[in-house]
Amino acid sequence: MPFVADILKHRSLSIVGLEKNTGKTVCLNYILRRLNELRVHVGVTSIGVDGEQVDSVFATAKPEITLYEGTHFITSEKHYLVRQAVSELVAVDSRRTSLGPLVTARVLVPGKVLLSGAATTGALREQIKAFDSMGVDLSIVDGALSRLSLASPTVTEAMILATGAAVSPNVKQLISKTKHLYRLVNLEEVDSATQTKLNGIESGLWAIDEQGTTHDLGVQSVFLLGSESGNLLRHETTLFVAGAVSDRLLKLLTPQKSGITLIARDFTKIFATPEVYTDFLRRGHRMQVLQRSKLIAVTLNPTSPQGYLLDSKSTCEALSEALQTPVYDVKQIEQ
Amino acid sequence: MKIKELIKQDAGFQYVIDSMEFMSSAGRRAMLNSEFSTDADALEGEWNRLQATIDAMQNADTKRSYTDLRHCLMQLHDLQGTLASLGSHTTLNEVELFEIKNLSHISTAAAKAIAELGLSPALPLPDTTEVFRLLDPDSTGIANFYIYDSYDPRLAPLRRELKALQEHDGDAGRIGQLLAEQSDIQNRLCTMLSDQLHPWTERLVKTMEQMAYADFLLAKAELAVRWQLTRPHLTESIHYRSLWNPRLKHRNEELGLRYQPVDIALTNGVTLITGANMAGKTVLLKSVGTAQAMAQCGFYVPAESADTMIFDAVVKSIGDEQDEMNGLSSYASEIIKISDIVRRSREERMLVLIDEPARTTNPIEGKALVQAIITLMEPAASTTMITTHYGQLGNGCRRLRVKGFVEGMENAPLTPQNINRFIDYSLTEDQSDNVPHEALRIASILGCDEQLISLAQENINH
Repeated sequence: MPFVADILKHRSLSIVGLEKNTGKTVCLNYILRRLNELRVHVGVTSIGVDGEQVDSVFATAKPEITLYEGTHFITSEKHYLVRQAVSELVAVDSRRTSLGPLVTARVLVPGKVLLSGAATTGALREQIKAFDSMGVDLSIVDGALSRLSLASPTVTEAMILATGAAVSPNVKQLISKTKHLYRLVNLEEVDSATQTKLNGIESGLWAIDEQGTTHDLGVQSVFLLGSESGNLLRHETTLFVAGAVSDRLLKLLTPQKSGITLIARDFTKIFATPEVYTDFLRRGHRMQVLQRSKLIAVTLNPTSPQGYLLDSKSTCEALSEALQTPVYDVKQIEQ
Repeated sequence: MKIKELIKQDAGFQYVIDSMEFMSSAGRRAMLNSEFSTDADALEGEWNRLQATIDAMQNADTKRSYTDLRHCLMQLHDLQGTLASLGSHTTLNEVELFEIKNLSHISTAAAKAIAELGLSPALPLPDTTEVFRLLDPDSTGIANFYIYDSYDPRLAPLRRELKALQEHDGDAGRIGQLLAEQSDIQNRLCTMLSDQLHPWTERLVKTMEQMAYADFLLAKAELAVRWQLTRPHLTESIHYRSLWNPRLKHRNEELGLRYQPVDIALTNGVTLITGANMAGKTVLLKSVGTAQAMAQCGFYVPAESADTMIFDAVVKSIGDEQDEMNGLSSYASEIIKISDIVRRSREERMLVLIDEPARTTNPIEGKALVQAIITLMEPAASTTMITTHYGQLGNGCRRLRVKGFVEGMENAPLTPQNINRFIDYSLTEDQSDNVPHEALRIASILGCDEQLISLAQENINH
């Protein structure tokens, strides 16, 4: 029973797919089944259903996540009414979504449900808190359609990354794309003193000098940066970005004298493309994060929706070799 | 007129309601839909309920009950749509049935807290225990809801079989069959429950409205305590001791500036308000207007003591940007408003607030217009306040002058930034027909071009 024991060390877990059809659902169902056998009280919610995706993606969707007795879950009214599990309503949110209000329920007889949850990470944090008050041991967030924000360590403690042939049928490309995200997830965390110092900073670009003093560089958003990159290094070579780390920022910093340490809040704030990020590192700079995510496992779905089928065993091995971490084909484990 | 319409014409009142804290959106809606009342008994009744709520809120012995009540109100959802469906014999779904059960649950808990607070006469809530009983066949006593096994003898065996099949990856075909059967039974039960609940619709609507009103009343009480507002006393004239303007006072406090409340008494007929520029004449009009709107909407008012009376309406002609947006010149929109006021004053008893009428046209016709307005409004049943810079109007109406600029009032050099500290905003009865001539002096304090001022002075001397 790989990686389930690791999950139990945490209070909240997100499942993130690198693309659609990377086997997130299979992975979630696997985890839920194992946790049920271990009698863990689970709460399940999701993120990322928004208006325009509803009709195209969910109009024909059928319930596909199996929930077990005692599990708490959150979904929209519309999806609740088509559930196959027998469950009792515990709460209804006063805010409405395009699919009706979000409801919280507890499963009485196991069965499949369709999840639709929070629109924002803020709402997600509230839901996880509410689950805690209902006696839930572990909150699981099902990610939707290439949203990474739910995996931020400020939302969920641990994460599982699902990848597969849907990302690219070319194994080399699949590995390269997965590896880029994997590297970001595993970026080195700053020391605890720096963490304490920077945690409260909400916005802007900051420099940290040798004495550990922080200086506001007066840049409200890195998107507004002009050509003053040299000036950004007037204090020291350690910089903290409270918001997003963009290609633009990295491109400005890359040509500067080597030795810049750039600190991001966490990996979900890094929006740089693999090429630009690699250039930045090659120049001798480095990237750190304020808070590192705990990656529990990488899973692989060898089948793509277009019908490509990769060899499960060799692809898992190649990916595992490249990432230096175990990679599982969940369907294979199940058999 | 409803509060939601009043606040569009009164930014000061808008500020007041924006400062209130509601537990639920239904409570906020109840506030927006409540009426500007002209009924003395209704207002006294509302102030009595407000006072009772304030007293209960401040009673240390019932603090717990007050917290419980707030907690109940926080869970209040706006069920207008659901209750309309129920009233029209539509079958409610499980989520809607849960909402109704929950409303009954929280209103029962709220009624208990209200009784403990001694507020039952002020906030009576309908009894909905029968609704709860219908939706709680197993007597769990909690708000959770589903289509319980006990509603239909076929459900328990069906769900037992379903559970066994689901737990052991049983025959998918059979699972589908059971789910379809369950769905049929549940749908039938939802219709049956909706029919049984239908006669309770009116009572449930009343429950929701009363809960929303309770939220409004608590918000009003909380504001009255936080701002130290005063209960108005209904008489036949207006007399405020230390009337203050919430928005301006709080803004001044934020900027570290002094704020001076004002005593004012008004009677039927016209009161002219004169005083130098910057003396706060316009603010005074707005403060009187906002306080009157608050009083007649059942609020306490921002003053140390407040004698007031009931008007059919508060009408204003106070220039603002809004008019220019409507494509009218400032004079055109002003004269349309004033003409409307004059016409209405023949029928209604109003509080009329007119800020510097005819100031944007030539002074000869302007002054003539002001004199005409005074002549028409003086004998009317309305109470009219008019600010003006025109002197020698020759009418015998009452005049109040803002004391205004007092040199040496503060022991500090005078600058444009601190000029506010040298102004005495209090009012004094003025027997003369003159107005203060301080425009040039104030312009000079504000650092106005010297040549401009000296030329103006010469023009006066000639």
